[in-house]
Amino acid sequence: MKHLRVNSRLFKFVQLAVKSLLQHKLRAALSILGVVCGVAAVFSMLSVGEGAKRESLAQIERLGTRNIYVKAVPLTEMQQAKFRANLSRGLSLTDAHRIQKGCPDVQDAAGLRELKASVFSTMKEVTPLIAACTPNYATLMKIPIGSGRFISDPDMQESKLVCVIGHGVAGSMGALGRIGNYLRIEDSLFKIVGVLQRLESKVGKSGAIRLRNYNDMIFVPLAVANLASSTGTPYGALADPEVTELIIAVNDEKQVLRAVPAVKRIMEIAHGGAEDYQIIVPQELLNQSKKIQRTFNVVLGSIAFISLIVGGIGIMNIMLATVSERTKEIGIRRAFGATCTDIILQFLAESTLLTFTGGIIGILIGFGGVWLISAIAKWNTTVTMLALVVPLLTSIVVGLFFGLYPAYTAAKMDPIAALRSE
Amino acid sequence: MKQNNEPHLIAALGICKRFHVGSSTLKILENIDLRLHRGEFVAIMGPSGSGKTTLLHILGCLERPSSGSYRLNGVDIIAASDDDLSHIRANKIGFIFQTFNLLPGLTVYENIEAPFLYRSCEHLQIKEKIMDSIAQVGLGERVKHKPSELSGGEMQRVAIARAICADPLLVLADEPTGNLDSGTGLEILKIFKKLHAGGAAIVMVTHDRNVASVADRIIYLKDGRRVDEASASKQQAV
Repeated sequence: MKHLRVNSRLFKFVQLAVKSLLQHKLRAALSILGVVCGVAAVFSMLSVGEGAKRESLAQIERLGTRNIYVKAVPLTEMQQAKFRANLSRGLSLTDAHRIQKGCPDVQDAAGLRELKASVFSTMKEVTPLIAACTPNYATLMKIPIGSGRFISDPDMQESKLVCVIGHGVAGSMGALGRIGNYLRIEDSLFKIVGVLQRLESKVGKSGAIRLRNYNDMIFVPLAVANLASSTGTPYGALADPEVTELIIAVNDEKQVLRAVPAVKRIMEIAHGGAEDYQIIVPQELLNQSKKIQRTFNVVLGSIAFISLIVGGIGIMNIMLATVSERTKEIGIRRAFGATCTDIILQFLAESTLLTFTGGIIGILIGFGGVWLISAIAKWNTTVTMLALVVPLLTSIVVGLFFGLYPAYTAAKMDPIAALRSE
Repeated sequence: MKQNNEPHLIAALGICKRFHVGSSTLKILENIDLRLHRGEFVAIMGPSGSGKTTLLHILGCLERPSSGSYRLNGVDIIAASDDDLSHIRANKIGFIFQTFNLLPGLTVYENIEAPFLYRSCEHLQIKEKIMDSIAQVGLGERVKHKPSELSGGEMQRVAIARAICADPLLVLADEPTGNLDSGTGLEILKIFKKLHAGGAAIVMVTHDRNVASVADRIIYLKDGRRVDEASASKQQAV
């Protein structure tokens, strides 16, 4: 019962606050401008930040948090000569075998080489990227097969002229892009043995790794890379094909960071200290990205804090003016029996209602801002519950905090002096 | 708050009020004794600066005396906390001011309703009580009007309705007719007589002998001291 009475009293104070604020609509509207701008800015920044964070995390996760990438570094002729003197022959599949043997945490390793080649077909919209890879590439990169199969071990061992095409490539080829048909790459005919499932075609760059659009790719066995390349030598299959990228899969995500030093050491020994490769760890990128995001959040939080403090000071100013203007009313209410707490609650209700309204308007404007950013800048934005709750709660806290001093000033007025004021 | 079954509604003894202005002390009230029975109507008269309003404020628990004792309905007001005094003002005392002191943004109904925010009163009874008090002062048709749309007499009637709405033990009126013309003042006095006939205890400050004559007795103050006391009938005879 007492609880109900307290609620009903609080409701009455809110009603009273609404009435008081409605009597000075313009003043109330002007006083909350700072809070509106602050909340709109916080909301927009949180939504844009969250969108960027999710995008970068998705890209990093697509690289596989269980994987370690070893990437060949393009070298100048002078560098090549220098590294050959160190007995390094560049990045090859042998490096993958060495790592697998030398590091017990490594479960599997795949190799890939991007090729420069001409595809002769009726494709109109797609210029495919040709990649020669090992059969386990699709498994390690979690590439889903739509129909047929991916490159198999026999394809690799027997250097078969087969290929797997992306969904976009197949679509562009029309009826010719079906399993069993042939595709000419440079001077060789490759039999289509599989078509990939359609994937969300997001290309981008996470750290030093480029995300590929598998829809527009053609995969051939690494063993026949030379046959499918415009720069390759036409001598058929190679026993130790050169690669541009090795993907090392570790048994467990938790073992990745432990495996990295071992991989580094093996590569260092194998390449005689030549720096013709680069080791990239998506999990490190992920941690780095999270760290950057945390810094970003602190910066955003500080900006939000400053803008809301400015808004709050505006509210305090207006509330002090209101208290001064309503001195007589305070006296009358004290004569009726209002306690100091009642007066504090009355003015706190007003200041909080002001900032809460500012918060709501700010969120609505923020929604508009986020929509505009998405539409014009084509940025990824994500509105989360946090982006809604944080600015709203902050606006309430600002109202309570900056309303407290004016409310206290009102409550501490001498009732007699307040009654005598004009 | 401890209550006794004392015969007097008000028992104020040796009430003094002093203000310190710099190094000097300003004596506003000196050793005032005042007793008031339940249902009694007392008028306080005196020239300007005699301490009438200060005494009224002390009786209304708006101000504490510098010394002396004061019991209202058996409650020791001197020992009561600020919150206790607020509670007493809300539930036991009704104030009527010379300048009406209505809240300009509220309607007649809302002005009378406003003090209920601080009273311990059942929600369902409030509307009924408000409408009763509006009927008592004859403002039934002005319920939705704002103070700026009312005459001085009407505003004072709203103030009276606000003061009597919660059936207070004590009604304190500070120059209730001071801002009104004589005709309207007489109407207000009629309402006071009606209230008194209904059993309300009233303390009224006035400087007008005719207004004071409606009271059971009149107390005179001069320079903060009681100088004389007379029953209203004697006063009228004078």
